[in-house]
Amino acid sequence: MTTAATVVLLPFIGAVAGLLGSRWPRGRSRTEENNARAARRAAWLAIVPLPVALVLLGYLVWRTRVGPGLDWPPGTFYADLLPGFRSGAWGVIETGGVPITVGLQIDGLSVLTAILVCVVALGVQVYSVGYLRGDPRYPSYAAFISLFTSAMLLVVFAADLLVLYVGWELMGLCSYLLIGHWWEDRGNSRAAVKAFLVTRLGDVAFLFGIFTLGFAAGSFRIADVLAADLPEGTLVAATLLLLGGVAGKSAQVPLHTWLPDAMAGPTPISALIHAATMVAAGIFIVARLFPIFPQPTLDVLGVLAAVGMLGAALAALAQDDLKRVLAYSTISQLAYMAAALAAGSPGAAIFHLMSHGAFKALLFLCAGAVIHHVGSNLLSHMGGLRRVLPIPFWTMTIGFAALVGLPPTSGFFSKDGVLLALEHSASPIRLLLYGSALITVGVTGAYATRAWLRGFFGEQAPLEPAHGHAAPPTMLWPLVVLTVPTLLFGFLGAGDLALGSAAVTLVVGLLGVAIVLAAWRAAPAADPARLLGPFRAPCEEAFYLDRVYDRLVTRPTMALALLVVRTDTSVVDGAVRGSGQLTLRLSRLVKLAQQGNAQLYVTGLLAGVLLIVVGAVVL
Amino acid sequence: MNSGWVLVALLAVPLAGAAGLLAPAFAGRVPRLYGLVVSGLALGLAAVALALFDFSAPQRVQFETDLAWIPGLDLRFHLGLDGISLPLVVLTTLLVFLCFVYLAGRSAAPDGPGVRLAGLRPRALVFTLLVLELGMVGTFVALDLLLFFVFFEVVLIPMYFLIAIWGGAERRAAAVKFILYTLLGSAVLLLGLLLIWSQAGTLDMVALAAAHPMTRSAQVLAFLAVGIGLAVKTPMWPLHTWLPDAHTEAPTVGSVLLAGVLLKMGTYGFARIAIPILPEGAAVVAPWLGAFAVVGIVYGALACLAQRDLKRMIAYSSVGHMGFVLLGFATLTPVGLNAALFGNVAHGLITGLLFFLAGAIKERYGTADLTELGGGLLTRLPYVGSLLTFACVASLGLPGLAGFWGEMLALQGAFAPGGELSRPLYLTFMTVAGLGAVLTAAYFLVMLSRVTHGVAAEPVRFADVRRAELVAWVPLVGLTVLFGLWPGGLLGLTDPVVQVVLGVP
Amino acid sequence: MHVVYPVVVAALLFSIGVYGVLARRNTILVLMSVELMLNAVNLNLVAFDVWLRDVLHGGQVLTLFVIVIAAAEVGIGLAIVLAVYRNRRTIDLDRLRELGEPVEPPVGDRG
Repeated sequence: MTTAATVVLLPFIGAVAGLLGSRWPRGRSRTEENNARAARRAAWLAIVPLPVALVLLGYLVWRTRVGPGLDWPPGTFYADLLPGFRSGAWGVIETGGVPITVGLQIDGLSVLTAILVCVVALGVQVYSVGYLRGDPRYPSYAAFISLFTSAMLLVVFAADLLVLYVGWELMGLCSYLLIGHWWEDRGNSRAAVKAFLVTRLGDVAFLFGIFTLGFAAGSFRIADVLAADLPEGTLVAATLLLLGGVAGKSAQVPLHTWLPDAMAGPTPISALIHAATMVAAGIFIVARLFPIFPQPTLDVLGVLAAVGMLGAALAALAQDDLKRVLAYSTISQLAYMAAALAAGSPGAAIFHLMSHGAFKALLFLCAGAVIHHVGSNLLSHMGGLRRVLPIPFWTMTIGFAALVGLPPTSGFFSKDGVLLALEHSASPIRLLLYGSALITVGVTGAYATRAWLRGFFGEQAPLEPAHGHAAPPTMLWPLVVLTVPTLLFGFLGAGDLALGSAAVTLVVGLLGVAIVLAAWRAAPAADPARLLGPFRAPCEEAFYLDRVYDRLVTRPTMALALLVVRTDTSVVDGAVRGSGQLTLRLSRLVKLAQQGNAQLYVTGLLAGVLLIVVGAVVL
Repeated sequence: MNSGWVLVALLAVPLAGAAGLLAPAFAGRVPRLYGLVVSGLALGLAAVALALFDFSAPQRVQFETDLAWIPGLDLRFHLGLDGISLPLVVLTTLLVFLCFVYLAGRSAAPDGPGVRLAGLRPRALVFTLLVLELGMVGTFVALDLLLFFVFFEVVLIPMYFLIAIWGGAERRAAAVKFILYTLLGSAVLLLGLLLIWSQAGTLDMVALAAAHPMTRSAQVLAFLAVGIGLAVKTPMWPLHTWLPDAHTEAPTVGSVLLAGVLLKMGTYGFARIAIPILPEGAAVVAPWLGAFAVVGIVYGALACLAQRDLKRMIAYSSVGHMGFVLLGFATLTPVGLNAALFGNVAHGLITGLLFFLAGAIKERYGTADLTELGGGLLTRLPYVGSLLTFACVASLGLPGLAGFWGEMLALQGAFAPGGELSRPLYLTFMTVAGLGAVLTAAYFLVMLSRVTHGVAAEPVRFADVRRAELVAWVPLVGLTVLFGLWPGGLLGLTDPVVQVVLGVP
Repeated sequence: MHVVYPVVVAALLFSIGVYGVLARRNTILVLMSVELMLNAVNLNLVAFDVWLRDVLHGGQVLTLFVIVIAAAEVGIGLAIVLAVYRNRRTIDLDRLRELGEPVEPPVGDRG
């Protein structure tokens, strides 16, 4: 138990130390030497906690190899691999209502996800040292990554839904701070704000779902919620609300629009947050609470996933920006995991989550190396880089192979696992899910091949004079290291392979690859996406969803805000000033009696006397 | 051992300090440390109260003093401290002390085209602030209804002068509006208190909270009167329009104390007077209170989105935050009341910090207008910019910082309201308040994006955070983080009292 | 004769005097009306004194007082009227409005 707490706290301490102590006590001014010293110190503070955490996690793996587990759904690979379960609490926060337990729980799912998080975070931190060399704001950047890692670990290990929510929102904040790292460009700032707001909208629904579950079960502890016997209606309502948060964090339709814009942040951030970890949190929470997810909610999730996977894949096919290709690819792959959940197989979803985490992080980091070299994100500015950047070329090839699902990469096994689950699921929308997934496999093959060919083959595009320096070793080592899980992780789930279904998937994928290859062979200089014909523009604009949201949400809100300000000044404050005016007008009315005419006063006096006399006589 | 002397001393110190300033020795100049010493003494006394407080029984009134004041009217000088008032007293003395720290640092360092605040009539300024402190502390420790009212009123005059003399360009109108509006509210409040007196025969808060001798209709009427009076101070929509003008024109220390403490006096009145003494009245009026609170949350957030002045924007954000506090009160559940009291203290800390920062920016740039500030604050003032980001993030209710618990627990209270309050109505309130929370995040982030991000027009670095400013701001930052990570610190104080107030067995 | 006749006459005279005080514009006429009211009161006093057959003749004594006071008052009143006429060239009561506030010209009158 303390081990888990230490794992969570190590990056947190690193973050605090990095934020407060990188430039203390002598490095306040931004000279070259001070910056370099602060960067070195910050790098150590950021990197050191992670291997230590990994060692502790190894210890936790050993502890969870045996032991009684929770009532897991059968057949999930993590429950079979690490069946142990432990939980502990450090106290209860009495709020006057349902109490909040401050505690952590350890089981197979959390340990494996934590290992994924720490490995990718370590790779990203090492990579960032080279990627952001010379950036005076590197110390705060590294500290924020550590803070994010700590928050994600809190989400993974939390035993109480509200403690999980704390980590959940903290991740959102770190995402905002990191996307906006190069805030001199207003576009980056806007992307960061958009990311935070879209996820926050989902998080409000998530919070309401937590309330529903907590109040119904009498406790916010996950174990209590899973054990409580809740009525179906409550469960449907609560889980539908939870889906709001899942859709926000995991970039599912309709709250996915923030992810492509989040590519404005530095590439290592995209690798860590927007590929491997934060976006995986939504899938994680559904898997964690899977026993209480009723079929109607899973059907809703499935429909959203089916739409998302195909739509995002088509959008990825038409993008010119390499990072946006990978972003839409992430949305599509996350939809795969969501579909697996909807089909009733959290094991397949988590397996794909882990293999995707590895190969997507690898792809993003390779993309970072390519972008670092070329000085531009756009595919049209790249070409023929396989001779110039050998290591990124080979590692990215492996990454793309995993994305398409070619054996023996982990992508092959995990994607097959998902499709197998979809094929054999008992869900009423089985056909929709399976059909959509199969078509998406083909489109995935197409866009992966397109990016690969346009980036590394063909004519080498002219380079800007300022760029063209080779990537430093700190950037290349994580690439190599990440290929290991990409290639080997799949064999963990090799036992569940079904050759027939795997063959079908492979054929469809290779079909997509072949079509693009043929189109490219025919005209190496042109973009294979021209095959989309008239659909190219809608795909590139992601079916104009951003513009719809802008018209339906952003502009009306701003107009409403202006209306409110005007109402406040004229109506509400007008009433206040009006009361003052009213008083003045009343006094002017009363002043009419003060004409200065003495006879008027005497008349008034006489009238008053008469009234008093009459009154005295009558009453 | 009778420890009642602590509270009497807590009132006497600012009074003596202010009276001492009238001595002819100070006619020429006031030593810079005078205010610092007096407010430091008051803070020390508050710390003594904190140390001597019996944390195992926060529902019991401690440090009690009960003397006859006006025997003919049966008015008593009754002071006391319990779990609700202790955090507020410490917050008040801390904020006043930090204001004096800020002033001490400011007068020594001329920089930027801002208004030389401390240079103008320093003796009057210190006097005003000390009288203000007296009124604020007195409100929180008074346990007699009319004594409470006296202190409630005492704060209005110093604040009026603070705005009218040391304020911005349109200070006269803002000050007049502030004082007339809040006086009107106080008049209505007085009517309510007198109604309670006439019906119940006593003015003692403790006795009134223990027994409820008033009839239901009298309670409703009294709650309406008291509620409207307090609602003007809180401020509750639609009685809020004095706040933006007052904040825009007030000097930095005025804004900090106005937002940090004066607004708390209104909500404290709800927790201390309206709900414990008039429970049936509260049950009848609560849905309306909740409705106005929720409208305030969304209205304040939308108004913030369209604001062009930084201080005005923070003022409207206060309307939104107080909306959450009032929503907590309107749920009439232990969770809701805990949320309201927690949100109270959190808002005092965070918005106090926000106004300090806004004042620092205004002083250096010479303006608080967002379009004139341009962008790139993080280039020109990196530390101030980072602190501003921190304060805004805390204010929008990020978990891990103090603002979160007030908002989240208020929503939780609305999820399951107490008594016979209509559940669907309160679920609607909760949903709208949740949307308000998203809008809150929106306006803060849009403001941060406009001001701190981007490229500055002239990339010249200003003098960044001074030592005095750092000393003034770090306690607020630290407490925000502390209560964010350890909500039990405040909840442990307020929960026992709340349980007693709501009569939960 | 019954007391009614002089009392009614006195009442009528008093009413005429009240009308004069309240409605006449010329100050001297107002003073004359005041005299009329005072003399009506005198008539009333004498009539009741006779009717009630007062031993002390209180009514008639009071009448003498009233006559003296009325004379003194008229003297001072006319002196005031003379002073007002010397300063203002008018004794029209409607024009003498210094007791009230100066009337603001209606908005839009200023240039």
